[in-house]
Amino acid sequence: MDHCILLLYFLPLLFIFLIFKIVYQKRHQGCYILDYQCYKPTDDRMLSTEFSGELIMRNKNLGLDEYKFLLKAIVSSGIGEQTYGPRSVFAGRERNPKHEDGIHEMEEFFDSIDVLLKRAQVSPSEIDVLVVNVSMLASVPSLSSRIISMYKMREDIKSYNLSGMGCSASLVSINVVENIFKSQKNLNALVVTTESLSPNSYSGNERSMILADCLFRSGGCAILLTNKPSLRNKAMFKLKCLVRTHHGGREESYNCCIQKEDHAGKLGFHLDKTLPMAATRAFIDNFKEASPKILPILEKLRFALLSFRRKIIKSSNNAGAKPVIDFKTGVDHFCLHTGGKAVIEGIGKSLGLDEYDLEPSRMTLHRFGNTSASSLWYVLGYMEAKKRLKKGDKVFMISFGAGFKCNSCLWEVIRDLNGDGNAWNECIESYPRKNLANPFLEKFGWIQNEDISTFKYPE
Amino acid sequence: MPPPLMPNFNNSVKLKYVKLGYQYLINHFLTFTLLPITLTLLLQLRYSPDEYLRLWNSLRFDFVHVLCSAFLIIMISTTYFTSKSHSVYLVNYACFKPPRACRAPFSTFMEHSKLILNSEPKSVDFQMKILERSGLGEETCLPIAIHFIPPSPTLEASGGEAELVIFSAMDSLFEKTGIKPNDVHILIVNCSLFSPTPSLSAMVINKYKMRGNVKSYNLSGMGCSAGLISIDLARDLLQVHKNSNAIVVSTEIITPNYYQGKERSMLVPNCLFRMGGAAVLLSNRRTFRTQAKYRLLHVVRTQKGADDKAFRCVYEEEDREGKVGISLSKDLMAIAGVALKSNITTLGPLVLPTSEQLLFLISLISRKIFNPKGKPYIPDFKQAFEHFCIHAGGRAVIDELQKNLQLSAEHVEASRMTLHRFGNTSSSSLWYELSYIEAKGRMKRGDRVWQIAFGSGFKCNSAVWKCMSSVETMGNNGPWDDCIDRYPVYIPEVVKL
Repeated sequence: MDHCILLLYFLPLLFIFLIFKIVYQKRHQGCYILDYQCYKPTDDRMLSTEFSGELIMRNKNLGLDEYKFLLKAIVSSGIGEQTYGPRSVFAGRERNPKHEDGIHEMEEFFDSIDVLLKRAQVSPSEIDVLVVNVSMLASVPSLSSRIISMYKMREDIKSYNLSGMGCSASLVSINVVENIFKSQKNLNALVVTTESLSPNSYSGNERSMILADCLFRSGGCAILLTNKPSLRNKAMFKLKCLVRTHHGGREESYNCCIQKEDHAGKLGFHLDKTLPMAATRAFIDNFKEASPKILPILEKLRFALLSFRRKIIKSSNNAGAKPVIDFKTGVDHFCLHTGGKAVIEGIGKSLGLDEYDLEPSRMTLHRFGNTSASSLWYVLGYMEAKKRLKKGDKVFMISFGAGFKCNSCLWEVIRDLNGDGNAWNECIESYPRKNLANPFLEKFGWIQNEDISTFKYPE
Repeated sequence: MPPPLMPNFNNSVKLKYVKLGYQYLINHFLTFTLLPITLTLLLQLRYSPDEYLRLWNSLRFDFVHVLCSAFLIIMISTTYFTSKSHSVYLVNYACFKPPRACRAPFSTFMEHSKLILNSEPKSVDFQMKILERSGLGEETCLPIAIHFIPPSPTLEASGGEAELVIFSAMDSLFEKTGIKPNDVHILIVNCSLFSPTPSLSAMVINKYKMRGNVKSYNLSGMGCSAGLISIDLARDLLQVHKNSNAIVVSTEIITPNYYQGKERSMLVPNCLFRMGGAAVLLSNRRTFRTQAKYRLLHVVRTQKGADDKAFRCVYEEEDREGKVGISLSKDLMAIAGVALKSNITTLGPLVLPTSEQLLFLISLISRKIFNPKGKPYIPDFKQAFEHFCIHAGGRAVIDELQKNLQLSAEHVEASRMTLHRFGNTSSSSLWYELSYIEAKGRMKRGDRVWQIAFGSGFKCNSAVWKCMSSVETMGNNGPWDDCIDRYPVYIPEVVKL
């Protein structure tokens, strides 16, 4: 049967075909960022120290103790003079916002989408997937429908509107897109991440709840992603891995950052004192899962050897220093969620980062404040504007969110980036700033010396 | 008189058989052509038993040849199995059964309405008219906070309703399927108008102490068709995550969204939306193949947001007094019709048998060439599906779809009865309807179900499922258990209140 011999020749061909098929599939499964655009609101929305002070005084429910508490918090917050607030605050309507305020706030932000699509030369009808995440606004029709309506996107678009997922929601959106990219070929995706502040002002006097108003600022980001192999060379970043950790199963973690009503029935966002601990716990778990995927083999081997050596030495009661993972062998740049100065410093210490690594996050906190889910992208924008991102560099993003979640991901830089059209372009020259202290202490420090019996509300 | 009737009857019978014959021919075209060819080939290759023996003995079972053949078989089977997309199975689902204490019969609802809107008798009359023609029954339920006079929609009350609905459904689901909360890899919760931080998905993870690397997603604002959007997301995720279980929770929390003003177009949702929720377990594990009830065949999504009128037809806004409510535009039915047409245009080629597709093609060509003003041929979807679950959005929606798709009363019975017993429970209504069909013992193995829902935006989404096992009516443990024998009921056009 000579036919069997023919089969012998046929086999290598089949083998090659199989390999080719696998490679082809992998090529179409990559998640690339084509471009992104952070939102810079107009200058008339800047919250200066004077105005912030005024805002706080407007809440007649607050007493001297609360003022002192707030002063301490804001002074050490790391937030500067040029952060942005929602329009309803400037119109004096923060206590009774209209439904329209929330919607208009979002629509103003959608201009960034225009800028992004024009620059990337992608028309709205070429978008196949749209994921929008806004934590504190649920409207009918959803924001994703609003965007589809405004830009006249296609009928068969896959749209998802995520909400309530906190400050780490933009990585959840990227996760959705990553998964869709793995199951279908040749797609363009648009991720829109922002936060709604207008409808969420707190008008009571619970300390844990008044803090949220002082820390969150307006901001947002639109990101264009694709898995088309042909656009690989035009892309900016490639997703290497994404790890999500959810500590909702633990009571303390779940309750440390939660929206609820105070004793008077007023709705506010409660930030518990145990928040840093919950964050650390979540971070450790996330780290455990992410580090094997991020660290190069040499570093893993080195750590394994050192730990092994320590274990052996320990048995003879002469343990040396605990081996520490040098995260910087696998990562060149760090994007830390700008949740507050304490958060940035906490993570910096855990990962062994120096001033240079923490600079982008610190400066973002100073310039834009805590913009919730979109903060990571402002930090990335800073690095880009400072021309730190070169081909082959690895960028590590980590963020925390209500629930309690800790999400992290690793991006690889595809080409040298020079930050055209970045939100930082106009002010990058004045950064990094050495003195990050805000004038709050100078202007309002007198409150520290006031006595509650003689205190009179300033008009 | 009898003589004129007789020819008509004969004609219609003949036509029926002609139609049947045509369908049989086209649908089994391949069989009809290949069968004669194979038979003739076999006849040609007639060998005697000796010749077969000689053929067998001449095969040389050389080691190399055996290896090559084995290798070939393995390669072909690996290629086949790796290129197949993972099947998504619906293992089981559970619907929330509201407690009797939450019932809102017509009398309660109208009394409530009169007390709250006592300054606007016209609005009260309007609500009564809507309720009379709504198709709802006396056993639909509203959450406890809405029974208060005036309603007290606090965050705590909304959270309470969410916990009651979602946790009851999830407990029931865990019991029915036997899986543990720790075994859930993906969790998707969709609730349109209530979205606290942390999300409802975090609330579920907290209650059931789910694993730390559960992938959770919380969709909101996506309207009454959000359940199918969640199923679409779960399907995409299950293609990537092997051997995983996904739970989809669909609900609508009524407490924070009860309109307390007097604008008429915004009072309609108050009359229709009721408490309800469902939890569905999807999986791509092969071990569930024998246990699963359904297999997901297709999900088709249509988004008509690009058209401004469609976008504004279900819109949340403030009325003149600053009270927030959802206004429904008068063009809702027309827009729904257009969205439906787009959806079935994409769905049709995927599910219709060849005979219907051919007829549609012929009618399309003839319209284009011969008669541009002719009526378009509406394909007979009854041949593609055995059961229909139409979102119980309101009586008008069901009527409209029945007319457009030429369905019989039995096909839309599940939708009408769900609307009567549970009201419009938004995204979970499809699961109550499926439960009705199962409770009635109509679901057989191999039956195909078409779930179709509309939502704000304006969306029209469909899902097609295939039944994998015969579903027993006994011990189904569904929301219809105690009342299925009373159904179907006759729902008059107007109930006199």
